[in-house]
Amino acid sequence: MDLKKEGFILSSSPHIKIPVSTRKIMFLVIITLLPTIVISILYFGLSVLVLYLTAIISCMATEAIIKLIRKQKVTSIFDGSAIVTAILLVMTLPPSIGWQKVALGSFIAIAVAKELFGGLGQNIFNPALVGRAFLAAAYPVSITTFSKPNTVFPFLADSVSKATPLAAAKFDKVFTDISSLFFGQVGGCIGETSSLTLIFGGIILLIFGLINWRLVFSYLGTVALLTTIFWLKNPAVYASPIFHLFSGGLILGAFYMATDMVTSPITNIGNFIFGIGAGILVVLIRLFGGYPEGVMYSILFMNACTPLINKFTRTKAFGS
Amino acid sequence: MKTFSKGVHPFYNKDLTCNLSIEKISLSSKLVIPALQHLGSPSEVIVKKGDEVAIGQLIAKASGFVSANIHSPVFGKVAKISPKPIVGGRMANHIEIDVDIEKTSQFVWEKQNIDLIKLASEEIINKIKDAGIVGLGGATFPTHIKYTPPKDKTIDILVINGAECEPYLTCDHRLMVEKADEILKAVEIVAKILPLKSIIIGIEANKPDAIKTFNEKIKNYNLPIEVVPLKVKYPQGAEKMLIHATTKRVVPSGKLPLDVGVVVSNVGTLYAIYEAIYFNKPLIERVVTISGDVVKKGGNFLVPIGTPIEHILSYVEVDLKKAYKVIFGGPMMGVAVPSLDYSITKGSSGILFFSEKMARVEEETPCIKCGSCMKACPMNLMPNRLASFSKAKKWDEIKNINLYDCMECGSCAFVCPAKIDIVGWIRYAKNYIKAKNL
Repeated sequence: MDLKKEGFILSSSPHIKIPVSTRKIMFLVIITLLPTIVISILYFGLSVLVLYLTAIISCMATEAIIKLIRKQKVTSIFDGSAIVTAILLVMTLPPSIGWQKVALGSFIAIAVAKELFGGLGQNIFNPALVGRAFLAAAYPVSITTFSKPNTVFPFLADSVSKATPLAAAKFDKVFTDISSLFFGQVGGCIGETSSLTLIFGGIILLIFGLINWRLVFSYLGTVALLTTIFWLKNPAVYASPIFHLFSGGLILGAFYMATDMVTSPITNIGNFIFGIGAGILVVLIRLFGGYPEGVMYSILFMNACTPLINKFTRTKAFGS
Repeated sequence: MKTFSKGVHPFYNKDLTCNLSIEKISLSSKLVIPALQHLGSPSEVIVKKGDEVAIGQLIAKASGFVSANIHSPVFGKVAKISPKPIVGGRMANHIEIDVDIEKTSQFVWEKQNIDLIKLASEEIINKIKDAGIVGLGGATFPTHIKYTPPKDKTIDILVINGAECEPYLTCDHRLMVEKADEILKAVEIVAKILPLKSIIIGIEANKPDAIKTFNEKIKNYNLPIEVVPLKVKYPQGAEKMLIHATTKRVVPSGKLPLDVGVVVSNVGTLYAIYEAIYFNKPLIERVVTISGDVVKKGGNFLVPIGTPIEHILSYVEVDLKKAYKVIFGGPMMGVAVPSLDYSITKGSSGILFFSEKMARVEEETPCIKCGSCMKACPMNLMPNRLASFSKAKKWDEIKNINLYDCMECGSCAFVCPAKIDIVGWIRYAKNYIKAKNL
């Protein structure tokens, strides 16, 4: 470069920036999900790996096509956000769901929930959860058929259909023991079964400050508090708070879904409101609603409230 | 250790120059002096082409209330007066002086016999005003205005800003280590004109030698003075942040430090006051840090105002071929310039040379509402909102979210993972609203 001819680079201050990018954030999220991905493949077999790959390809392809149609930069599909959506979507689905349905759900997640709103950063609802909500509405049977993971012979998932601990608790009043829940030896969705790896990944995200602890703890805390009240009232009918914390999609939802930066409030108070609101909804749905599980709807509902929460929880400027 | 809330932690990179003593450089054969070197209205040029000027002679006088005098740093002859862009792009007249190097080199400023007790407060203020002293921390606000509060306001605390929170810059650090007595003598002068109950020297903890020097020296002065080490955090030296950290007083939104009885002065400004009172010397030179990642040997130089960059370059080792960005000031709030055709002014705390790697402007990606900017903003604003409202030209809404409380410290854009030019958008909004009178 001839400096005299072209001049030095001009740009607005600041002239130094931290070496963190959206892409790096997304890939760190993916790395923290890897233990859970590995565990889910060990528990449910290689077919799950096929589902992950199907979702990733479908999500990225959908985004690429829409970017082409909208004449935007296609390279944005490599920012990692589509991959995060794909992985999270698969984690909310039962292992026996077919790859075709996964591909369709991925398409809906990206096309409807993300790109129709304007792409990354513009969406109101968590794309993975919208994908799952669509599949739940379109295929109510497939999405509630669960197999028990086979931990004796890894890679050979048994196909015996098994009710999830939440369904068993709700409809049969049978409470699964906590250690099975914690290590994932229960029927359930692909990524929801092992709380241990999810919490491990979640703690890494908390340490890096990529998810807001206020949301995570107010969400889990509200569920724990409310279920404790009911449990103390009648332990024969209502499961313990520990059971509620570690069953279903609550841990996955609290660490990875509700905390999605784009669809959760940006203010600290807003994060508390989101967490408490979602916690109340989960307990209401689990204990009194028609579904055994309420994490998905609790988060989607609070997603819808987020713009409003942001509006009413503005920060107060220093000195005002 | 005292500090403010929020803020950021950039790499400081001060080791490059913090141990290099202030070096007086030789005279340049030509000086180019802008008639606008301060916040406010441009000074009025009162010399013309061909005039002989003497060292310390007034060459451009203050015009309007917020303005400052400018003096010739040398003996010489006015070669040219012509308009040119100053750092940042505004146009201003520039006075070009052919320097009489021999005569100037022989000149020595004589120490005056000053009896502080007899010195009247108006006299001090007038001397500060005549000397053209402005805030040397970078904001370049005329100092005499700061020291003359309205009748209904009383200033009882002087906060001396020795934070120097901008990375790379070490000019204030060196001044504090080498000129502590002079700075304290200036404090005595300020204590004459303001009813000070307390004087606080705020220094970031990464300058232990400066803290030590002042702790030793203040014992020799009969002043209510205290050295306050501050946590190393940016923007510790921002006026409102520094006041809050050292005095617990909060400057209300839209108000000035004097509204809470505080005046903040940079150590360089105080040194200039010392010279103005004790030597009758106007502000005609300042300490400038030369640094950056393509600078092999930088330094802290005492440079006459108007010295062209190229002249200073002979004192440093800088790989110009590898320099892709040249910044006046620090990397957080400094201003990038398109060429080397600029000279040192009263506000030039440093000149930084950055490599291609440092200068690269990264591609902006969509805001993912991560909230990093909000966690960083020392003014507790919502920088992401300010930027998006500016982009959408929502001028009424942007005023409602405290646009004018933003001091453009750059903490938000520094942490933004989407590399959004938040400060640029905020500046755009401020300028647009001002220009269109909205």
